[in-house]
Order: sequence, then C-alpha cells, then structure tokens
Amino acid sequence: MKAKLIGAVILIAVMLAAAGYYFYGKTTDVTVINGYLGGEKIGIMEDKQIADILAKKYHIAFEYSRAGSLDMVTADQSGRNYLFPSSRTALDFYKERQGEPVSDEIIFNTPLVLYSHKAVAEALMTDGTVTLSDGVYYADMQKLTEKIKSRVTWAEAGLPELYGNVTVDTTDPVRSNSGNMFAALLANVLCGGKTVDEASVKEIMPQLKDIFSDLGYMETSSSDLFNQFIRTGIGAKPIIAGYENQLLEYAAENPAQYAKLKDDIVIIYPTPTLWSTHIYIALDETGKQGAAALCDEKIQQLAWEKHGFRTSGCDISSEGGEGKVNGVAPQLNAVINMPDYKAMKIIMEELED
Amino acid sequence: MKKAICVILSALLSAGIFSSCSLSESGVLENSFGGGVFEKETIRILSGSENKELSDIIAECSKKTDVGIEMTYKGSVDIMNELKSGAADYDAVWPASSIWLSLGDDKHIIKHDMSISSSPVVFGIKKSLAESLGFTSGKVSVNDILGAINSGNLSFCMTSATQSNSGASAYIGFLYALTGKTSALTSADLDSPQLKEKVSSLFSGIDRSSGSSDWLKDMFLAGNYDAMVNYESLIIAANRELVSQGKEPLYAVYPYDGLTVADSPLAYLDHGDKDKETAFLAVQQYLLSNDAQEKIRQTGRRTGITRDYSQYGEIFNSEWGIDTEKILSPITMPSEETLMKAMNLYQTAFRKPSLNIYCLDFSGSMKGEGNRQLTEAMAQILLPENAEKNLLQASENEVNIVVTFDGDVRNIYTVEAVGNLPLLYEDIAAEEPGGGTDMYTAALEGIKYAAGSYYIDEYCPAVIIMSDGASKTDRRDDFMEEYKACGYDIPVFSIMFGDADDSQLNELAELTNARVFDGRSDLIGAFRSVKGYN
Repeated sequence: MKAKLIGAVILIAVMLAAAGYYFYGKTTDVTVINGYLGGEKIGIMEDKQIADILAKKYHIAFEYSRAGSLDMVTADQSGRNYLFPSSRTALDFYKERQGEPVSDEIIFNTPLVLYSHKAVAEALMTDGTVTLSDGVYYADMQKLTEKIKSRVTWAEAGLPELYGNVTVDTTDPVRSNSGNMFAALLANVLCGGKTVDEASVKEIMPQLKDIFSDLGYMETSSSDLFNQFIRTGIGAKPIIAGYENQLLEYAAENPAQYAKLKDDIVIIYPTPTLWSTHIYIALDETGKQGAAALCDEKIQQLAWEKHGFRTSGCDISSEGGEGKVNGVAPQLNAVINMPDYKAMKIIMEELED
Repeated sequence: MKKAICVILSALLSAGIFSSCSLSESGVLENSFGGGVFEKETIRILSGSENKELSDIIAECSKKTDVGIEMTYKGSVDIMNELKSGAADYDAVWPASSIWLSLGDDKHIIKHDMSISSSPVVFGIKKSLAESLGFTSGKVSVNDILGAINSGNLSFCMTSATQSNSGASAYIGFLYALTGKTSALTSADLDSPQLKEKVSSLFSGIDRSSGSSDWLKDMFLAGNYDAMVNYESLIIAANRELVSQGKEPLYAVYPYDGLTVADSPLAYLDHGDKDKETAFLAVQQYLLSNDAQEKIRQTGRRTGITRDYSQYGEIFNSEWGIDTEKILSPITMPSEETLMKAMNLYQTAFRKPSLNIYCLDFSGSMKGEGNRQLTEAMAQILLPENAEKNLLQASENEVNIVVTFDGDVRNIYTVEAVGNLPLLYEDIAAEEPGGGTDMYTAALEGIKYAAGSYYIDEYCPAVIIMSDGASKTDRRDDFMEEYKACGYDIPVFSIMFGDADDSQLNELAELTNARVFDGRSDLIGAFRSVKGYN
C-alpha cells in the first residue's frame, strides 16, 4: 500500500515536472538559425553562456552541422540560413558559385599556428629551424619547408624514436580551411616569402603538390585533427597545423587535462604566419540576425576568454585562455597576406587532382 | 522474430534491472541494454565488434544514464559504407578508427565525435615461437615477420581488410613496409608487380580470416593457431583467457615500420532528433568520465592522455610483450583514392584465394520460398554486377565448387575462371527442388572432392551450406569422424533459408569453428560475414 502511494506521488511529481518543462519551453520564443559551421567554432556554439545571451537578448538559437570551410560552399544548402567558414577564400568561393550573399561579416580572428611537442621543438632548435624568444616558439618557415621538401627523416632531424619523415600534418587543403591556409603559407614560402599570385603560383605548384602528396590521408576537420593531436602523443602527429584558438579553448575548457599536457605541448608560430578570418555568411534574412548577435560585445569577450579567438575588442592581457597557456605570442608582427582567390583557386584545383 | 523477443524482454526487464541478450542474425550480433523505469530514450549504436569487450561497462552506462543502448556490431569498413548511405537506422556510430568516420560522412551527419580509448594493431605470436624467431628483443620490422612467414616458420590469422579496421590497418602497414615508403603510399606504388608478389606471399601465411576483430579473437581461442593480427587490447583479452586455461599466452610484437593505432571514436549521427542527441551526450559523457575510463583501461585499452601504466602491470603485462613506454609512431594513411584502390586490390588480387564449397539444398522442403531465396542468394554472389556492388568480388585464383543435394549428392560443379560464374548461376537456377535431405553427405563429398583436386593449404577454404537445416542424420557420425580424420581446418558455415531449423547447422559450426547466419533477414550481411572468414 505504502509502495503504491510512493509510486503515485512520484508519478504526479514527474507529470508536474513535465508540464512545467513544456510550458517553459513555450514561453521562450526563439528563432532557430541553422547552418554549416567550421569545426573549430563548435565550442562557441555549444557554450551555454553564449547561448543564453543569444536567446535572451537576441531571441535566436544556432543549430549547426559541421563541415569544412570549402566543403560547406558546395554542400546542399537547402534549409540552411548561414555558413560560418574560417576564411575569406571560402567567401570568394561562395561568391563565384552563387553570387553575393545576403550579408557577410568578419566575426573572429585567429592566427594559423603549429602545434608540436617540446622534444620536437628542441630537436628543431639545434639548427635554428625553431627559435625561442621571450618564452614563445617561432618556426623559420623557409628552413622547415626545406626539410619537408627534401624528405629529411625524423632520425636525421635528431629524433630517432620517431618513424618516417619530418612533416606537418594538416587538414585536407581542398576541403578544410586550416589545411588550405597552410598550403597558402607554403606556397608563399616556396615563392621566396612573397604572397603568390596567379602567375607565380604556377611555378611552385609542382613542389607544393609533392609536399601534400606525401601527407596521404588528411582529416577534413580542424577540430578532428587537433583532438587527435591531443590524444595520440608525440609519435602519431609530431607537428600539426591548426588555429591558435584551439589550444586556448582546450585549456579553458579542460584545465585539469591541460595541466598534464602543459609541459609537453607547445605552440610554434610560423614566421611568417597568416590570419584566419572567421566570416559569417548569411544565406537569408533569418540568417542575417546571427551576424548582429555574434558581434555582441559580451559574446566577443567570451569568445576570447573561453574560446581563444582574437576579437576586435579583445584585450590579450585579460583573463582568458592566454593567461593559462604557455607561450602565447602577445602580438604577431610577421604576418603575410593570403593569396587572392584566383591564386587560391589554382592551388585548390591542382591539389584536388 | 528473435529481435522482437529481445526488445520485448528488455522492455519487460527494464524496471531497474539490466537486461541483455545477444543473437546471431545474418552475422550481426546485437546487445540491448535497458535503462531504469524512467528510461528516457534509447539510442542505437552501430559499432565495431571489438566493443563487445566493453559490454559490462555499456550496461553500467545504460543504468547510470537511464538511456537504453542497442548495440549492432559490424566491421569498421562496413560501418563506413552504412554511413555513406545515411545510416538511417542508427543514432550513433562507434567504429575502431576515425578514418572510417571521415571517409563515410558524405552527408555531414556526424557530430560530437570523441575518441573513447585507443589501442595499437599488433602481431600476437605464441610466446615460445616469438622467442625462437627472435621477436622478443630489439626492434622488429614487417619485413622480419615476412621472412618468418616465407621460411614457413609462421602463419597467422587476421581480419578481412575489406571489412574490418584491424585487417585494413595491418594490410596498409604491410604495403608500407613492402614498398619501403616513409611518405604516403600513392596509387602508382600499388601498380608494382613486385609488390603484388610480395603481398601475395605474405598472405599465403594466413590460416584463417574473419569479418571483425572480436570474432577473430573468439575463433583464435577456439582453434589452434600460431599468431593473430589484432588490437593490443584483444591480445590482452585473449591472453587472460589463455592463461586461465593454462595455455601459452601470445607475445605482442609492434612492427615499427607498419604500425597503426585505432582511436575508437564514438560519434552522434544527427537525424534531427534533439532528445536522442541529449541521450547520446549523456552516454558519451559517462564513457569519458574518470570512473568509466578507469574500467575501460582495465580491459586492456589505453585511455586518457596520460601514458603512465605502471599500476596496471597485470593487464599491460610486459611478460606478454605489452609495451606502454614505447613511442607509437604509426604510418601515414594513404589518401582516400589510394586506400580504396588498395582495398579493391586486396579483394581481387592480393588476398589468399578462397576455395568455396557451396552445398545447396534442393530437397522437397525447400520448394517455393526457400528455393527462391537460395537462387536469389547465388545471384548476389555469382553475378559480377551484384558482387562488385557488395564488395564480394571473386579474386583471381578463387575456386568455386557447388554441390547440389537432396537425399543424396545431385551434381558437383567447379568454376575456376571468374568469367564463368554467371554460367554456374544458370545451372543452379535450372535445378528443381524435390526429394529428401542429407547435408552431411553433401558436405563430406564436397570436402573430399576439393581435397582431391586442389592443394587446400594454398587457399582459404570454406564449406557454405545453404539449407533449411532439416537433414536426415544417417551419415552424421560418418561426417564427424571423417572430418576429424582428414585434418584440414575447413570451417562449415551455414546460411539458413526457408523454414529453418538451426540446431544441426549450429552443431556443424561448433565442430568446425564456424558460424551460422540467417539469409532470410539480411542476405548481403550474411554473405559479407561468411566471406569475411575466407
């Protein structure tokens, strides 16, 4: 009898809770905006604090499917309100295929960096390929590219415990932006440190193709590549190309794990490097609401503090990923421009084959 | 029907009680884990078979999260193919390695993928043999292992490279070692005639194959073999069982020039159901919690980011060659195009050729539906346009023997040239069912015929009985005796049709270290499973 009573009480409680949940859900009237998102920005879209601001202040909520920055341009866009790639190249690619979007706006910035392990950085310091200055590692891209091009083995580079050649693992340059940017960076370096154009890129393409052909299978998402780097240790992925924000975000979200990795994992800033500009492309009027909301001052601040994106108003010295992560460059002086879309198109078409 | 019973049972028992059932249906093993009385949601996970080892942890996960979990097991390559076609029947996938997710996610439905654990693919070799081959000290290369195979000192079992991640990974590792490449393998590298010769010679050392890694471990334990290529975690699992049976354990060898690591990613498939997504995240979060990660580690998998295994000496046992200190430096996976070309070459040219002895039931009880299903089945495997679609193509030197039977053997057909398979199909389709059933005589005559005509050791042989299973038993004992006496390790698989009774078929499978599949529910799945074994 008593058991029955308890059962009834529980049942009523559950029903009340369910009803409450239902009505609560009804009262918050938000517009859901759906689109394709570069993997490195998932952390932002899953951030409850940011979602809260979006819902309360702007009455919107983002839904997303993950896709590479270039893949999303060619993907089926029916039912989608926005694209959120990580480069101007993706926007230009979009314009070429579909014309002017409803709107486009740069929301975040983050530099392209290399992630590696202390032992690798130290081995590469012996001949000056990597240098350490004020606690920040920098890679001489000319020297590093030369090693990759001439297929120097890790053993020759002073790391006999690693099998294979000195390489930088990237995402697929034809499908995902971080790989695409790294290809652009290598193209500039192979061209003597000048931004390649439509004419000069053709001369260096054979060398660039060889470098990427040596990489074999490449991930299509920057977040997958970074997660594998974190999980697999020095042997699997000695150096990867990624975005600066990825480690800053990881450290902010997983402080305990980062503490364990802190003495091993290093950020190496390529000299020169490139900026990744995360551009929000609205596909329709609904999608347009997203751009305005993401520019919200508080969201921009959270994007730096919790997700490591350098934003227009961000204060690098403020509390944030940078405060906890070793070796973050306060400012970047050696930055080179991305090649224009015509040159990038040649790079992509040639690497596609 | 079995599945329905399974679901009902789990629903009945779900009031706070964990329930599990497993069944064999077209080669797909399933487990259901019911949550508590307020179970919110059930998620269906398509998983690599190696995760069967985690059954207890998944059951605990279901209980702790109040989420029902239905596991369906397939090889990782098959999981990739399912993903490519949208995987509408599943809410999540859990293949052995993330490469199959990236290759399969054409429809951009993957979300929240996280590696749950990792394990390198290694050679597990009987310890005394590994010692005598000099593999227990210093660095070992794939070429060292190849040397032992070529000199006849080593044979091994591995999973099918066109179905399972461990087989595919090992195979790609072999290709790197044999070409001597340290940068990515290219499509042109695969065209070398010397490579074909070397790979074929390596695969001639294969005793038995299997469609998935956990089944390989089970088959290995039930038989008597020297070595298997499998995950470090399954070598550990096999060793625990071998040691408990008082048998010699395996020694893990990590070939430095052909090593791969499986990272076991669990990913959500976004079909637009928010409740499923929430349930999935709860499951994933639990599996990544310290508590669950600790339990997963106890099963012999590497978890988390730390590489300190000093307190797990009994599991990651250095006596078994398990080495957690070693820096794992895996090979570079080739591009998708090269990988797919390598897989096709494996299926059609490199693998040890199959010798298939199909025993087809044309008895009166097969009349109607049973006969229709059987003929349809043979069309799937013998007609090239169907076979290619299902990655079931015959390899160059494959031998197909068909024994048609009723109360006695009717006809024995043999086809060696791949081009003649459609003619074989026509012959089979023209036979009419009638008369009694004696599958024992058919199987025995098929084996005798094959042994008299071919060197069995040069093939991966298998008897595949297609029947409704109700055989007279006059010659059952003869079969049992003569099978044992002949000394060949030929598995007798069955695919059930019509109004099937599986008890006799199961007995044969048990005797010969094989399995029984249901051709009525998922014929292609049944065939892929059988073919994974040879």
